[in-house]
Amino acid sequence: MKEIAGYLPYIGDEELEYKTLTFEGEDEKLEVQVPVLTKEQMDKVVENVKQASANILKSITISDIVQVINTVIEQLLDRTNRYRQKAEKLLPIITGYDEELVRIGLTGYLKTFRKQNLQRFLVEDFGNPLLLDDFQPRSKRGFSKAIGPNVTVQIWAGNVPALPLWSLISSLLVKSGSIGKVPSAEPLFAGWFAKMLVEAEPKLADCLAVVWWKGGDEEKERQLFQQADVVLAYGGNESLESIKSRVPITTRFLPFGHKISFGVISKMCLDSRKAWKTIHHAAYDVIRYDQQGCYSPHVFYVQNGGNVSPREFARYLAHELEGFEKRYPRRVLSIEEGASLAEWRQKEEFSMFSNREKEVLAEPSGAWTVVYGGNEGELTPSCLNRVIKVIAVDELNEVISYIETYRSYLQTVGITSTPNELFHLADLLGKAGVTRITGLGSMTSPEAGWHHDGRCNLLDLVNMVDIEHSAEEYAESLASYVD
Amino acid sequence: MNELTNEIVNSVLHFIKNIDHSDEAFNDQALHLFNYQYRNNLPYQMYCRQKGKTPRMVKMWKDIPAVPINAFKELTLSCEDPEKAEDVFMTSGTTKGIRGKHFHPTLEVYNNSMLLNFKERFMNGHDRMRMGILFPTEEEMPNSSLSHYLALAFKECGTSESKYFVNNEGLQVEQLLAELERVEDSGERYALLGATFSFVHLFEELHKRGKSFQLPKGSRILDTGGFKNKSKELRLETFYSELSALLGVEKSTCINMYGMTELSTQFYDFGNEVVPSVKRGPHWIRTRIVNPLTGEDVAKGERGVLVHCDLANFNSVTTILTEDLGMENEDGFLLLGRVQGAEAKGCSIAVDEFIRAAKGSF
Repeated sequence: MKEIAGYLPYIGDEELEYKTLTFEGEDEKLEVQVPVLTKEQMDKVVENVKQASANILKSITISDIVQVINTVIEQLLDRTNRYRQKAEKLLPIITGYDEELVRIGLTGYLKTFRKQNLQRFLVEDFGNPLLLDDFQPRSKRGFSKAIGPNVTVQIWAGNVPALPLWSLISSLLVKSGSIGKVPSAEPLFAGWFAKMLVEAEPKLADCLAVVWWKGGDEEKERQLFQQADVVLAYGGNESLESIKSRVPITTRFLPFGHKISFGVISKMCLDSRKAWKTIHHAAYDVIRYDQQGCYSPHVFYVQNGGNVSPREFARYLAHELEGFEKRYPRRVLSIEEGASLAEWRQKEEFSMFSNREKEVLAEPSGAWTVVYGGNEGELTPSCLNRVIKVIAVDELNEVISYIETYRSYLQTVGITSTPNELFHLADLLGKAGVTRITGLGSMTSPEAGWHHDGRCNLLDLVNMVDIEHSAEEYAESLASYVD
Repeated sequence: MNELTNEIVNSVLHFIKNIDHSDEAFNDQALHLFNYQYRNNLPYQMYCRQKGKTPRMVKMWKDIPAVPINAFKELTLSCEDPEKAEDVFMTSGTTKGIRGKHFHPTLEVYNNSMLLNFKERFMNGHDRMRMGILFPTEEEMPNSSLSHYLALAFKECGTSESKYFVNNEGLQVEQLLAELERVEDSGERYALLGATFSFVHLFEELHKRGKSFQLPKGSRILDTGGFKNKSKELRLETFYSELSALLGVEKSTCINMYGMTELSTQFYDFGNEVVPSVKRGPHWIRTRIVNPLTGEDVAKGERGVLVHCDLANFNSVTTILTEDLGMENEDGFLLLGRVQGAEAKGCSIAVDEFIRAAKGSF
């Protein structure tokens, strides 16, 4: 099978060069061709996007933009739609994730971009979304308008399907043209989405481009960043560091680094009746995208004193993961991934010799691993792919001291607790660097309008333009109707 | 050494020198050693029990639980009292500075294993050759299995004119070039042995001076260990082409040795005209290619991680799980390099990055 990825505005009848990425599915091989532009072609693309962004996108009202996105999202939620069918067929081959898991994941994820949610997203950041269309009066007098960038360059990473939608939709909502670089691990979805947008609203044809270049291509990146208003990038700190070094000081740089997340479970939900549900939710957060997301848990801190002890929690969790493995088997791992998983597990097994508290529960072929770490405390990263550690704590507060060192890496905490515990702990977690607290079982599906890594994702993109009261007053004195 | 150890040492020496290379003989000896190690090496026994592999369950050498090389860092793997060991070889300790330790109550087994194999696979029928060693001496680098290995070659198989050309200050370029010139003139076949990265340093010097040599017919080269971030990383093709071009030795007589601190036996190839070359060990070591997660053999012709069962490893554990990638071949196995840490697929932080972050913030 072959599939051409990406999307380009019309830049003349030019010969395009493609790079082929090959993906081996279980029984099918898929070749994806991603467009690689020359310097001249890239310049043309940037010029087109810049023009279209200024002349077309900026003149479309925000409600029309929301409408267009909604149309595309509705289509993608329709399982008879050809793009949706393509996504369900090809994304499992590319990412290796179970088909059913991809299907459920897509639906859950796309739902967060329906009209009502987009409106919520806008209100969350702007209060009054009309700020994006026109100058709006402010209570302190004067007027303000939110102006989006002409060109936002977006560098996506990772293999979580359809992840680029967050930034692509964000930049559309602020009326910014987009030039996106697809990740080699999931090069398809962003291009499809761009094509669908243009099919739904042909006026957008020149407003966005989805391309590929080899990450770290210094010359290309410098040339492109020079012409961008905002560069938004996802990836590990090392690659972000190198991207940053190529972004001119006058261009806004928004990095989204890799993060670590974990769960906190109060003894209050560990009675014999409620525990099974808690554990089911915990396991679900582990299997979703095999923990590849920044919001996926690495460790569960479980409080002592419940009817189900932390050690029992670990054992039940293992049982639950085994159940999920039957229904939604884990992705097939490469030799390299298998080796690092094995190494991680061996390390835990050795440490059992010095810490007799510990317990390593694992499926023989490595489909899942649960380590009961006893009172090990410290937050340590899992090697992912359904490998999770359970750590016992006496008091929920204790968790804070175990995560303090990793402040800049913290993101989501999945929590089950009483309301009092929730707000008490939320305050401490927030101070320690956590930016998202969610119910266990929802760790991998952030709500619409969430503050990704604690940021206002739309506000971060725009410039606010103020008309101060004095200008208004001055103008008033020069009006034709002045007496 | 106690009597039991003596007995085991003798049985291993006997096996190494024996001409019986059959599967049965290997199996019997492997199980014999497994029983001994299970009983006398407590951490290993715990490891085996955790894997559900007791002597009663282990019927074949392939059933012996393979110990990951990292275990040499975390556990004391020794049947004899480690305090009384004649020598201990240590790994270079790249992460966290913890070095894996391999205890040798006596070096007799290691030395016999090394020499028998080395003579057959490298010496090409000669008793002794004039040698140049591109690695520090044992005195300068105690606890290095490679310095001991090369010292053995030097003492037992080198002529009296043999010399070392690396000391703590690095490669002794002038002395080495002078020696190569002398050898070139004399016409006496020569053997140059050392770390792969030292050869790269030599290449750089030769390029700088625009020099090359035509070593006498019958000369041989042995490199080992890879580049280890101590020199430029060359592709294997490039490395052997340069070696052959700059020193005038056929690629077929450029031998690569593959060994590990955790083993007592080495593997060699049959020259490097084609890379990656086929590696093979003597009859007292066998290799499996496994899926690292399941520990099961991979299908023939598929890539996997190497597991070695080295019957000269009498005191630690016979069977180790490496971090080397390989593929089975009719004559041995292809060594495909180290298993690289898998790159993070998603946006969740990878273990390595996290560790670096943690270190930075302390």
